[in-house]
Amino acid sequence: MESGDTLDFTINKLTLKHFLSDKVLLLSYVFLLFAIFGVVEMVYERYFLLSANAFDAGLHPGSREVADAMREAVFGAGGEVKREAPWSLYIVNYMYLIYVGSGIIFLVALMEIFEVENIINMAAEFLTLGVAMLLAGLFTILMDLNILNLYWMIFQPQFSSGMWLMMPLYMIYIPLVILEIYLILSHKKAWIKRVAFAIIIMSLLVELVEFYIQAKLFDMNSARHLWTTYPVLPLYFMVSSFSASLAIMILYSYLLRRNCKQTYILERATLYFVLALGAYEAVAYLFIDKNWAQIILFGDFKYYFYLYIALAVVIPFALLFRRKLTRKLKLLAALFIICGTYLGKLIFVYGGNAYPMSNRFGVGFEKYSEYEQVKEIIFFMPSFGEIAVVIGSFGIFLFIYRVVYFLFLATRE
Amino acid sequence: MNFAMALDYQSCIDCKACEVACKEENGVQLGADKQRIWVTQVEKSIFGQPFVSLHPSQCNHCLDAPCVDVCPTGSSYFALGGIVMTDKDTCILCKGCMEACPYDARFVDDTHVAVDKCTFCYDTRLINGEMTTACQATCPTKVRLFGNLDDAESDLVKLLKERRFYVLKEEEKTVPKLFYLLPENDNYYAINSVSTDTKIYTYDTFVPILEAAKAKREKQWKVAIL
Repeated sequence: MESGDTLDFTINKLTLKHFLSDKVLLLSYVFLLFAIFGVVEMVYERYFLLSANAFDAGLHPGSREVADAMREAVFGAGGEVKREAPWSLYIVNYMYLIYVGSGIIFLVALMEIFEVENIINMAAEFLTLGVAMLLAGLFTILMDLNILNLYWMIFQPQFSSGMWLMMPLYMIYIPLVILEIYLILSHKKAWIKRVAFAIIIMSLLVELVEFYIQAKLFDMNSARHLWTTYPVLPLYFMVSSFSASLAIMILYSYLLRRNCKQTYILERATLYFVLALGAYEAVAYLFIDKNWAQIILFGDFKYYFYLYIALAVVIPFALLFRRKLTRKLKLLAALFIICGTYLGKLIFVYGGNAYPMSNRFGVGFEKYSEYEQVKEIIFFMPSFGEIAVVIGSFGIFLFIYRVVYFLFLATRE
Repeated sequence: MNFAMALDYQSCIDCKACEVACKEENGVQLGADKQRIWVTQVEKSIFGQPFVSLHPSQCNHCLDAPCVDVCPTGSSYFALGGIVMTDKDTCILCKGCMEACPYDARFVDDTHVAVDKCTFCYDTRLINGEMTTACQATCPTKVRLFGNLDDAESDLVKLLKERRFYVLKEEEKTVPKLFYLLPENDNYYAINSVSTDTKIYTYDTFVPILEAAKAKREKQWKVAIL
């Protein structure tokens, strides 16, 4: 790898060899193939699948296309979005990547303030990891939206909508983190000391605002009582995200940097956040609407929920609580937390949709509140396209991270 | 103007003429799951006595509609008369409104890649000065009655003053404007079609709720985008 000097920091030259021989990039290509397949599927399903309305049927009698569209309407899957469960795997993945990515950034900023030396040495890498996760999360959510109308978010701003507030937040937040990475890379210690503190404080503020706004987004859906009765929702987002963020930082330190120096503080912090997550879940279900709590704790979601608690809380706590822990067990604890918290997000999103919202009395809330507890929850398997986009988002994360790493970070080791 | 609808659901015979009329008049997407209005059957059996009640429903055009608040582009909005509308040209399909609606009244119109819902026939009838909806006009048993709550002389207000009624999921505090008229002369039907938790209103007891919600939201009402 050759490198050339720039005004502030070194930019390495990337050759074709890097793209063809690096294991992480090769893995990202496999995931990116899924992304391409998912995007094609999504575009076809959303924009090209035959559909017809009552006017078409009247205006084009005998039309083969209208006939096919009617057949699709009667015997097809019922379109891309299920009325009963509008938010699905896209939202799970978006939430996970955004929260965990911004969690990494938040924790690194905090450790910079407190000058945790071993973390500062890897701050640029961790921040890059966080930004790559944010971008992968944004890719997922863009695939969930009608991209063709997205410009209306600029032309018709809705300042009170949690979803709209996310846009200016990202527009401030991502450049801010990139600026922070730039300052670290450029070694302008004088400037860092003058400017970085203010930037970090701003970054902290943006982080806290971000968690608040994300929580507001769910809290506005007043009919979904799993979400609206979760006590202090931003706290839940923070605690669960920080557990996963720290686990990823541990995993990264061991696997890619083979560095064990800084992990002690990460392990301790993980232990506390895992404990906090367990305490939060134990308390939260005292407040959550009993119908929703019943579904999650004792209904169709119970196996998922207890698996989530085991993976994200119980096993990691048991492992990390030990004073002497082998490298493999530490990795195992980190992996369990990463998988467990993902499952937690899945339960959160799907659980919020699980209770039938319909006022169609025969199948809905009115009936169940009147006569009996809900027996059949709402659950739809995501389409292949959706699953492929979600898998593909990890390819985007790995690709962005690795390319930035080779360009700016590799020579720092 | 404050548009609303009363439903004498005991008179429903499940002919589904209203569903057909709605689809035909408003050009709603074809498909069983793509409905602006619907009729639902509630079946139950008490001590071996079977009972079926029919409940026609649609968007409740809530005065304090949560679907409007969540929309990031203003695609979901209040039209004049307090009608909750969607502008399909600005919908980004975030589905936030579908999640926010307690009545499951919204669905994705795949022909426009946007969310669709009942408009009280605003663009096909009200805009032309008609004071009826397609579903009301076609109903052979006169289940629905559409009208203006601000007009004390309207048939709707007169009916609501005569009859007791309930609204759906009032605990969500959305102040819905579909009024389900309690079966008056059939106690058996009333007992079996209404939950024991359901609050029964008279018009006078509901008016303060309506006025408070209208005062809160009326400034957001605007000319419909057609």
